[in-house]
Amino acid sequence: MTRRRAPSELARLGAPLARVLDGAWRRTHWWLALLALLYAASGITVIRPDEIAVVLRWGRLVGDAAGTQIHGPGLLFALPRPVDQVVRVKTKYVWELPIESLSESPQHPAYGDTLDPLLVGYALTGDQNVVHVSVKASYRVRDPADWAFYGPKSDEILRVEVDAAMVRSLGEMGVDHVLSDGRKLLIAEATRRAQEGLDAAHSGLALVSLELIGLRPPSALADDFDAVQSAFIESETKRKNAQAYAQDVVPRAHASADAAVQVARADAAAAGALANGETSAFLALHREYSHNPAVVRERLYRDGVEKALGLAQAVRWIPPASKSQGQHIRVMVAPDPAGGRRPPSPPVPPPQNPEEDP
Amino acid sequence: MADEVTAQRWLRAITGSAALLAIAFSATALVVHEGQAVLVTRFGRPVRADSAPGLHWKLPWPIDQAIWLDLRRRVYEGGHTEMLTRDKKNVIVRTFVVWRVGDPLAFAQSIGSEGDAEGKLDGLLTNAAIGTLGEHDLSAIVSTNPEDLQVDRIEQELLAATAPVARSSYGVEIEQIRFERIALPEENVRAVFDQMRAERRQYAAKFRAEGEREASRIRSEAELEAARIRATGAEQEARIRGQSAAEVAKVYADAHRIDPELYRFTRSLDSLDKLVTDQTTLILRTDAEPFSLLQTRETR
Repeated sequence: MTRRRAPSELARLGAPLARVLDGAWRRTHWWLALLALLYAASGITVIRPDEIAVVLRWGRLVGDAAGTQIHGPGLLFALPRPVDQVVRVKTKYVWELPIESLSESPQHPAYGDTLDPLLVGYALTGDQNVVHVSVKASYRVRDPADWAFYGPKSDEILRVEVDAAMVRSLGEMGVDHVLSDGRKLLIAEATRRAQEGLDAAHSGLALVSLELIGLRPPSALADDFDAVQSAFIESETKRKNAQAYAQDVVPRAHASADAAVQVARADAAAAGALANGETSAFLALHREYSHNPAVVRERLYRDGVEKALGLAQAVRWIPPASKSQGQHIRVMVAPDPAGGRRPPSPPVPPPQNPEEDP
Repeated sequence: MADEVTAQRWLRAITGSAALLAIAFSATALVVHEGQAVLVTRFGRPVRADSAPGLHWKLPWPIDQAIWLDLRRRVYEGGHTEMLTRDKKNVIVRTFVVWRVGDPLAFAQSIGSEGDAEGKLDGLLTNAAIGTLGEHDLSAIVSTNPEDLQVDRIEQELLAATAPVARSSYGVEIEQIRFERIALPEENVRAVFDQMRAERRQYAAKFRAEGEREASRIRSEAELEAARIRATGAEQEARIRGQSAAEVAKVYADAHRIDPELYRFTRSLDSLDKLVTDQTTLILRTDAEPFSLLQTRETR
């Protein structure tokens, strides 16, 4: 016969606890199973369209190359913590950061004839002039692993790298170049340098753009800079006025020269036509004259004299001169009452008396 | 019934073991993430640092304890420091440093926390900046002449002056030092303003003079061009008129050649017609036509 051993003191003391645990187990074991299942599925993660994700397994990045480390949008099956940890990063979103450490702050506007470098931000240009500059940096995450695990804080590194790039780029350009046509170059150089710095710091950030919000000389010198601007505008106005004058005077000269040439051509054509007309008339007359010279001559002479007699103010008749005296008729032209000058009258050849003609 | 009891026992055993394993795991496992290092101390004495990401082990508390360190790069901005350049110009410089914990064990032993690290870096940086800038002119950091500029070299010199000390003494790796600010002391800014003002006046005068000169040049060139155009026109006009006169003369000469006497006669009549006006007094001989008609043949 076997004799049951008496229960030990420990078992006797633990019996109520065992009963409680046993009861709890009976009531909750299915719930525990459900919790275990939920825990096992807790690593499944949804990656949104603007995100990419990297997975850490026991803290180490899964995948050797950047291509295999990155998981795009969709469902990502990972193991539950602490085995796997999914880090989601918004890589398409463009963040913006205003950087105003090199400009006047509203709390410390710069008036007066000097600037306290601790209170008022400014940069020196290459020709040791003072300018205030403020920019807005737009950036996004390019390398999620560097950005999430190794890079410095985004805002901090961006601010100092952009400031350094701006100080460096301004420090090699003259103030006039910077304030006029050099802005584009300034931004290009500052962006390049800032990106180099961000890459060297393993920030994982890509600078999308740098935008100049303000770039101006100190307030104390604003009037002097404005005066240069006015002088420049004045000079441009003078130049443009001169160009307008040139654009007026040259075409006008062309027009006047062309008009003179056209008038000369017209006069030439008219003179040619007149000459041809008169010559044609003369030839016609000559044809008639060659048939009957005396009659034609007589008629022409009479017509001419009659016309002249009809026109003249007065006619005086004088007896014929002796042989020794002048045999010419002289046509005396009375002075023009209007005071106009008339060409001296050429001597008119004496008409030959038709009766004296053979 | 007996099967159910056995299954229940197994389930209990598995659950219990899992709970025990979880407790043991959490007491001994160290999960080192990317960008982290863990320093293991045994009874307070640092024994090793694990900086490779992954699973590491330690003895349970209270024997071993783990201290996590962040290996991410950090930015430290120095203070504004006034210094003298080689050409005896006062300049205020502010630099920033990008640094990280390079040797976790050395870092933990010599510094302990991040705040202290920045204090040490500040001292290193100020000394290096004063020493390095004292060997360069101001034109090495701001100049419009690219040959004078030596900013890259100065930054490399600053790095060379600080990085080895930071590495060996504090376990800190300095990766980048750059000028964040270059400014002038307040009293020097006044002189710079005066100089800028004088420059502006000079520029204003220059612009005005240039505008004047340019406008005058454009005007005189235009006038010259206009005169040239007019002269060309006049020349062309004279040529046309001359040519026309020659042609007309030739036409009349041809007519004249046919019968010079008749030609002269008709031209004289034409002239008479043109010359006699209502102001003219004609004096004619009585034996001239047509008065001669009144005379007898005998008297003639």
